[in-house]
Amino acid sequence: MNSFVDILRKPAARARFNTYGLLLLTTLAFPLYSAEEHGDAEEEEFARGIHGGRLLEDGNFSVELAIFEQGIPPEYRAWAIQGDMQLEPGQWQLDVELTRLGGQVDEFRFAPNGGYLLGDAVVEEPHSFDVNVVASYQGQSYRWQFESHEGRVHLKDAMAQTMGIGVHFAEAGIIHQTRLLYGKISPDPQQVSHITARYPGLIQAVRPTLGDTVSQGDLVITVEANDSLQTYEIHAPISGVVVDSHANPGEFAGNQHLLTIANYDNVWADLNVFPGEAQVIRAGQSVELHMGELSATSTIRYLNPGQGLTPNVIARVPLENPDLVWTPGLLVEARVTVDQFEVPLRIDNRALQSFRDWQVVFIKIGEEYEIRPLELGRTDGTFSEVLSGLNPGDRYVVENSYLLKADLEKSGASHDH
Amino acid sequence: MIEFILRSAIDRRWLVVTIVLGFCALGIWSYQNLPIDAVPDITNVQVQVNTEAPGYSPIEAEQRITFPVETGLAGLPNLSYTRSLSRYGLSQVTVVFEDGTDIYFARNLINERLGVLKSQLPNGLEPEMGPISTGLGEIFMYTVSALPGATKEDGTPYNSTDLREIQDWIIRPQLILVDGVTEINSTGGFEKQYHVNPDPARLLRWAISMEQVVTALRNNNDNRGAGYIEPNGQQLLVRSPGQLRTFEDIENVVVANRAGVAIRIKDVAEVGIGRQLRTGAATRNGTETVLGTAFMLMGENSRAVAQGVAQKLEEISLTLPPGIVAEAVYDRTTLVDKAIATVLENLLGGALLVMVVLFLLLGNVRAALITAVVIPISMLGTITGMVTFGVSANLMSLGALDFGLIVDGAVIIVENAVRRLSEAQRQQQTRIPVDQRLTIVFDATNEVIRPSLFGIGIITFVYLPIFALTGIEGKMFHPMAITVVLALSTALLLSMTLVPAALAIFMTGKMAERENLLLRVLKRGYRPILLLSLKLRWLVTFAAFVLVGFCIWLATTLGSEFIPQLDEGDIALHALRIPGTGLDQSVRMQLVLEQEIISLPEVDKVFSKIGTPEVATDPMPPGVADTFVMLKPRDQWPDPGKTKAEFVEELQATVMEVPGNNYEFTQPIEMRFNELISGVRADLGVKIFGDDIEQLQRIAEQIKGVIEPLDGATDVAVEQVSGLPILTVSPRREIMARYGINVSDLQSLVATAIGGEKAGIIYEGDRRFDLVVRLPEKLRADIQRLDYLPVPTSFYSDGPGYVPLGEVAFVESTIGPNQINRENGKRRVVITVNIRDRDLGSFVADARERISSQIALPPGYWIEYGGTFQQLESAQQRLSIVVPITLVIIFGLLLMAFGSFKDALIIYTGVPPALTGGILALWYRDMPLSISAGIGFIALSGVAVLNGLIMLSFIRNLMEERGDLNGAIVDGAMTRLRPVLMTALVASLGFVPMALNTGTGAEVQRPLATVVIGGIISSTLLTLVVLPAFYRIAHWREGEKRGLNEA
Repeated sequence: MNSFVDILRKPAARARFNTYGLLLLTTLAFPLYSAEEHGDAEEEEFARGIHGGRLLEDGNFSVELAIFEQGIPPEYRAWAIQGDMQLEPGQWQLDVELTRLGGQVDEFRFAPNGGYLLGDAVVEEPHSFDVNVVASYQGQSYRWQFESHEGRVHLKDAMAQTMGIGVHFAEAGIIHQTRLLYGKISPDPQQVSHITARYPGLIQAVRPTLGDTVSQGDLVITVEANDSLQTYEIHAPISGVVVDSHANPGEFAGNQHLLTIANYDNVWADLNVFPGEAQVIRAGQSVELHMGELSATSTIRYLNPGQGLTPNVIARVPLENPDLVWTPGLLVEARVTVDQFEVPLRIDNRALQSFRDWQVVFIKIGEEYEIRPLELGRTDGTFSEVLSGLNPGDRYVVENSYLLKADLEKSGASHDH
Repeated sequence: MIEFILRSAIDRRWLVVTIVLGFCALGIWSYQNLPIDAVPDITNVQVQVNTEAPGYSPIEAEQRITFPVETGLAGLPNLSYTRSLSRYGLSQVTVVFEDGTDIYFARNLINERLGVLKSQLPNGLEPEMGPISTGLGEIFMYTVSALPGATKEDGTPYNSTDLREIQDWIIRPQLILVDGVTEINSTGGFEKQYHVNPDPARLLRWAISMEQVVTALRNNNDNRGAGYIEPNGQQLLVRSPGQLRTFEDIENVVVANRAGVAIRIKDVAEVGIGRQLRTGAATRNGTETVLGTAFMLMGENSRAVAQGVAQKLEEISLTLPPGIVAEAVYDRTTLVDKAIATVLENLLGGALLVMVVLFLLLGNVRAALITAVVIPISMLGTITGMVTFGVSANLMSLGALDFGLIVDGAVIIVENAVRRLSEAQRQQQTRIPVDQRLTIVFDATNEVIRPSLFGIGIITFVYLPIFALTGIEGKMFHPMAITVVLALSTALLLSMTLVPAALAIFMTGKMAERENLLLRVLKRGYRPILLLSLKLRWLVTFAAFVLVGFCIWLATTLGSEFIPQLDEGDIALHALRIPGTGLDQSVRMQLVLEQEIISLPEVDKVFSKIGTPEVATDPMPPGVADTFVMLKPRDQWPDPGKTKAEFVEELQATVMEVPGNNYEFTQPIEMRFNELISGVRADLGVKIFGDDIEQLQRIAEQIKGVIEPLDGATDVAVEQVSGLPILTVSPRREIMARYGINVSDLQSLVATAIGGEKAGIIYEGDRRFDLVVRLPEKLRADIQRLDYLPVPTSFYSDGPGYVPLGEVAFVESTIGPNQINRENGKRRVVITVNIRDRDLGSFVADARERISSQIALPPGYWIEYGGTFQQLESAQQRLSIVVPITLVIIFGLLLMAFGSFKDALIIYTGVPPALTGGILALWYRDMPLSISAGIGFIALSGVAVLNGLIMLSFIRNLMEERGDLNGAIVDGAMTRLRPVLMTALVASLGFVPMALNTGTGAEVQRPLATVVIGGIISSTLLTLVVLPAFYRIAHWREGEKRGLNEA
């Protein structure tokens, strides 16, 4: 970071002045020349070898250590130079130890391969570690230690707390995949009875009026048959509520519906399943129904493909309705659990951030935070299954993880080894 | 000619005095109209055309708005160039005109074009011109906040929506009427909106679409006038009020009828006060607030306007609801007062010192007063000129004024007249009669008027190359040059008119002209030195050359800076967050940042503007915050001795602790200038023009790869244009067809659901608030929910009447362009490079060649090179013409004065040694070279020439009279000791206060003053010691000839 004063003395301005100053002062036939101030030259982070790797030097002996990852999983390659002579890979030995945040140590043994020494394992992402290099050549051993950090943020705990950074343990859990469906409450077709007169005739009496509750077998209508002039009784075929009535004493009972008795103790939720979801919605899946404050649970009994007039199928969900709160016609929201499984490791989706082309979470160790690129499995929108990249028990940032990403990217994190 | 002027001035002396008095009156009147500011205005003539386009992504904003506006404005007269940026919800086209274009003329032209353009823009979008203001325009800022515990009438605490309402409807309308204010811009809080939040499930229940809700609200919210009737001779107005007023009114609007039952808004939606989708926020001392910024009309007096606003704000404060405070947080008056105080201190101190010197050396009070009176009068003349030329009084324009330099001409004349008068008196031993006095005054004046006219003329000419500077440098230094030239020419006029006239009137009494003790001592000391110098003339010349050589070397070690930065006293810092950071996140981060900053004991207040204010004068993305850090007066610091630089370092360390932010430190005015000027500020900018953003970005990366390895390339950066996360809802047409849904139905549903749709206006008195239909906040924010948003369709009569959005559209997150920049009507991406340790020209040539050979551009793409190097090239071109011309003119003037090539050359070669003192002084005070110092050198060379002139012209006259070279040189030099010392002393003492001042703004003037003081010492030594030696060497032939003749 430049100091304030340096910012004010912009290099551009400096250069500009040189020319102006020169020209202005030439007015006086006086060639005043002002030298460039040497600004702080950009620090080259470390010396590089001819293969683009990091050059480690010790006297006459130097080792170039590179991570090669073009088209293959990242691997270590190393070359050695004594004086100005390139050594054959067989002539010298190399050991590399990577200590990662949290204490994990990766060891690499090297074996000759082509013109270089090749590490015996994949260098796992992130390439952020303290490196310990031991090389030996002609009985002499050389040691180097350096830090190679990436995707790492240091944040004091007090500041982390102020910024609202929340840390959770990564652990096993349930992934609970659901779908949201809309549907309507409809009565059970078997629980709706339309009463007609068996013989046409004059209605003598009607017991229940609209809205009355009747029990199965209750006398509901008395009709005097036209042919026989006999009076006969009609009894309620089911228990339920009179929801429709077209019968009054003195009226003629033909083949119209006289009364409709419906029983809403059990209703159905007819959920619309559109083609996009049809593959995952199955009979037997459990359903949470919501309407405003109301909610109930049940399972899908069957899918009714309909008559092909509409693109959607109907998932039918039986619903007990003892308090009669689910009235037919009511629109309901249904959350259908389409799949549910225990996973050995899951993370909160709020923790996920994109970093380069990875999905990462930040783990916390002490006051250090570091990215962990993850391979993710199934997700339910709230939690995701972790296939690799994180270990159970790791502490990872859930709340405000964006902040860490912001901090990483602001300083222009580079992928360098 | 000159004689005629002198004679008439002396003959009609009282008339002259009267005219000068009138002139003074004019100056005093002009002073009332003189714009006063801290620094010169370096903004170019520009008009911003902002079009707010709610909901438009950068690409749409560019395609639909920016492009037509840009094309429509192309080809305006005096147009310099256009540039534009298209961002979420905003298109901004900046039209830059040639310098000197009348802003109102420019705005008129644009206005005319915009009228035609409107039909080409999407419905409902209104391009608007930004305020008529400049980089100095943001003169006053205030925050509106509630005291802790303050409550509204209904007992609830004030929230930021309420504060914004107070700002918008109580404070702003009053402040905008203050004289000289052109805009009051609001940032922060939420504009109050009435929100209707329909529940998708309830809409489905009644088969009502969002569209129907909007339509129902629109159709039930109007008052209608119905003319009048006149039943019994009395006129009755007829009106039918139907405006919605209260929540109940809104809730009871009937949307539809289902089976005879009226479905009301309340059956399908919640109604409440909601928050606008804002683009900007404001914070202060770690809490959210509402911030108002007053913009000053171009060309107004910033001090007066800021005071007016402050006073009005105080009046308004009294009428605010209890518990609400509107408090100034930034007031330009403070800075202007401090800067002007510094200038005044310097000028007054300088004037006083000059008078003391005059009195001491002339030994005559009247003469000293006559000379001194030139100071205020030329000052008034300068002010008149400044008002005429529209130059404002500021640190820069007043910064180079040296009263010593101004009175130089007068000093020479007065000195000569006093000498001649006293000589005459001594000879006659009586009082001199009037007519003889007049003659003596005329002769005395006439004797020295030419050299002094030439001298001052030359000093004036030396300033000419400054007028060749263009761009920012030009705007910075032109006022300075104009003022100096004005002051000098006024002084010149005065020394031809007022000075002789006043001498004629007032130099009556006994001439008390005595060689005072000081002068006698000096003369006694000077003589042997002069003789020695004449004897060792070759050695002296050699020493002079060595000194010049040494100083040239010294100058190269000084380091350089462009202009010493004016310390505004306050700090502004940009807090930058990665693209795509949301406003709320940004506000949260800013609050923590501010809490950290305010914890520093030196900080008085800290406040910030985040994102884009209501009027997009400064369109920042939501991730960027302008943070203003106002410091306590130094005596309240725990350690008053701490320098600002030290404090800034501490501040830097503090803010670096806060994660997620990157910072740029600057100062309020400087920041504003940068925002407005905004072009490529690096040494070299490679601009790639073309159509496809991704392609542009790719080429830019390639070019970066080519430039980076070049020798001298530093800070190579590609302009970041991408990285904005976008949630796209792309229609699946074939599936939509199956449901009979049009793309526009889908889009308007998504737009209404997420962005909201305006369904009318709710009036509260004269306050007006938007009525907006939008999904409830918790559904809006839930991305997964979006898939299930029901899209109404009645395609299947037996169907459910809707289809979920996820069925008919893909909802996916992508990364899109963050901002699209265009220049002169084409998309462009810039790669900026700064160049170190290598000269610009060769680097640019090298870079050009490599790029053209290594980068293959697709058809329709081209590269342009811009940046500072361009300005440098043009400046070089101009200067390479102007500088030689100036040199020739000056030489011509010298030639005219002497009629001798040789003598002119002597004076010319005498200039470089004169400058050595300036360089030594800079070195002694550890100051870098800068343009300010350069201007000091300019003034200095003028003084050196003037001194040389005085000296040489006298020596020559003596030489012609007597023909004795050595004698002429010695006598001439001895006689001229006093005027040379006087002019030198007054010129350097005039600058002493400036060199020593440490007040606000002094850092701009200090280098100049330092150079002049140091230089004048060396220049005087040179004139007194080296010049006679030069003259002796140059005229040796004549000397020997005469010597031979005499022998």
